[in-house]
Amino acid sequence: MKRSKKDSPAPSFGPAHPTTDVAAASPIAHDLAGLLTHEDVDRARDRWRVSRARWAERRSKILGRFSVLWLLVGPGVLVFLGENDAPSMLSYSATGARFGIGFFIPFVVLTFAMGLVVQEMTVRLGAVTHRGHAELIFDRFGQFWGFFAMGDLVIGNFLTLVTEFIGIRAGLGFFGVRPIVAVGVGLAVVFAAITTGRYWTWERITMGLAIFNALFVPAAILAHPNWAAVGRSLLTWSPLPHGNSFDILLLILADIGATVTPWMIFFQQSAVVDKGMQPRDIGAGRFDTALGALLAATFGVAAILATVPLFHHGIDASQFEAAQFAEALEPWIGHIGATLFALGIFEAGIVAAIAISTSSAYAFGEVFQTGHSLNRPLREAWPFYSTLLGSACAAAALVLIPHAPLEFIVLIVNVIAVLAMPPALAFLLLLVNDREVMGDQVNGFWENTAAIAVTVALICAGLGFGVATVIHMS
Amino acid sequence: MGIGEKAFESTAGQAEKLDLKHPDAVLSLLEADQVVAAKQRMHFGRRKLSVGVRMLLWGLRIYVVAMLVIVLISAFRAIHSAP
Repeated sequence: MKRSKKDSPAPSFGPAHPTTDVAAASPIAHDLAGLLTHEDVDRARDRWRVSRARWAERRSKILGRFSVLWLLVGPGVLVFLGENDAPSMLSYSATGARFGIGFFIPFVVLTFAMGLVVQEMTVRLGAVTHRGHAELIFDRFGQFWGFFAMGDLVIGNFLTLVTEFIGIRAGLGFFGVRPIVAVGVGLAVVFAAITTGRYWTWERITMGLAIFNALFVPAAILAHPNWAAVGRSLLTWSPLPHGNSFDILLLILADIGATVTPWMIFFQQSAVVDKGMQPRDIGAGRFDTALGALLAATFGVAAILATVPLFHHGIDASQFEAAQFAEALEPWIGHIGATLFALGIFEAGIVAAIAISTSSAYAFGEVFQTGHSLNRPLREAWPFYSTLLGSACAAAALVLIPHAPLEFIVLIVNVIAVLAMPPALAFLLLLVNDREVMGDQVNGFWENTAAIAVTVALICAGLGFGVATVIHMS
Repeated sequence: MGIGEKAFESTAGQAEKLDLKHPDAVLSLLEADQVVAAKQRMHFGRRKLSVGVRMLLWGLRIYVVAMLVIVLISAFRAIHSAP
């Protein structure tokens, strides 16, 4: 399929360039007035509410500031809580069960700091260019490199989506729900979220679901962790993990893959654009991203702490799925704790299924130049919504096929995310340092230093894993 | 922030309701390249890729493919060696 030009029959307005000019004051305002869409009107309504809140901020600083932040938070919180998905929470659970309190707690916090460095750049890119990541890669690097980037995204997204439905099935399996019903519930929630035809409503519904990621916190408290040991581990990064170095490396890679993945870059930038954020909203966007990272790090650490009793009682959890974790934990955190844990895995799967299928749909729309906004009605942007629902349905169907290689997918999904990340980061860094695209919002010295450090760390982790795998196999 | 934007913000802040059926109202709230029609018709041109950038992109592409092969073989063997 080639990139379609059918939506743009009118002559070009000239090349794009970074601008903060209001559309009404631009030389093409008269032409644009006759070409407005439903999407533009909805986005303008969102901008009006932000303008009103900013006006209120002048009269009441605290209340006004809170209003502005409330209106502008969303993409950052969603991307991080979406990435605290079923395989990620299972990866954290496996970490807690295998190594207890120690090195991995500060390490997980560090991975979220790495995620914050990466995601902050997507906020700036989206707010300045008003274009999604896939669209920018195709525009600036051409179709050859664009389709490579899309290949990584499509494969990674589909495999991750499959693991979300495995999580949904396993989470509800704890309550005796049949797999077909559990998967059907997951699909129904994804469908319900998009029927609103409004980005704002979709975002608030998904955020409402995502906050249930906090269920891991009471589950952790019920595990009665040694808080002094938690504090000590955060300060000293010890005790260091012992045992099979290959298994440790695999968990390190899985925990990184649980926090920094290509879909997050594509999703947050597109969501920032769909939300209508502008360059002056970048500060609020940074707050949103930092808030998301903080919440997700807290809930991720909570998942580790919830499974520490398995470590203390020497229970081998290496082959556990979600329901088995909850069942194994029941003697130590009680039925309520186990229920919260299972519900947490179910929620993690649902929110990530919504976010990841939306990420695929955004990228598809951007590449093939079809409508790609949650502000568009279903009939107007059917290719966008078809991609969203189609990818979710295909992943859900695979989970229900007897003898499908689900174990294989669960094993490799986070590792593939880490391996696909360096090229994604290279495109991101090249774009965010491109003055023709970013204007004054290009990366500064410290932003580049941090981003390059993250890229090098990911490459080293991948190479280390590769070397260890070859040694392990020979 | 542009002058027009500042002026509009004052108006919007005071207005209880806004008639978004009027194109001017919509255009006053969006940036010039934020309107869908403008985005469809204005694209960032292709950037010239230096030799260094091409080498970086090819190097990372080879890295991904090589690592993927290793991971797939490893995962395949792990599953088939499991009891």
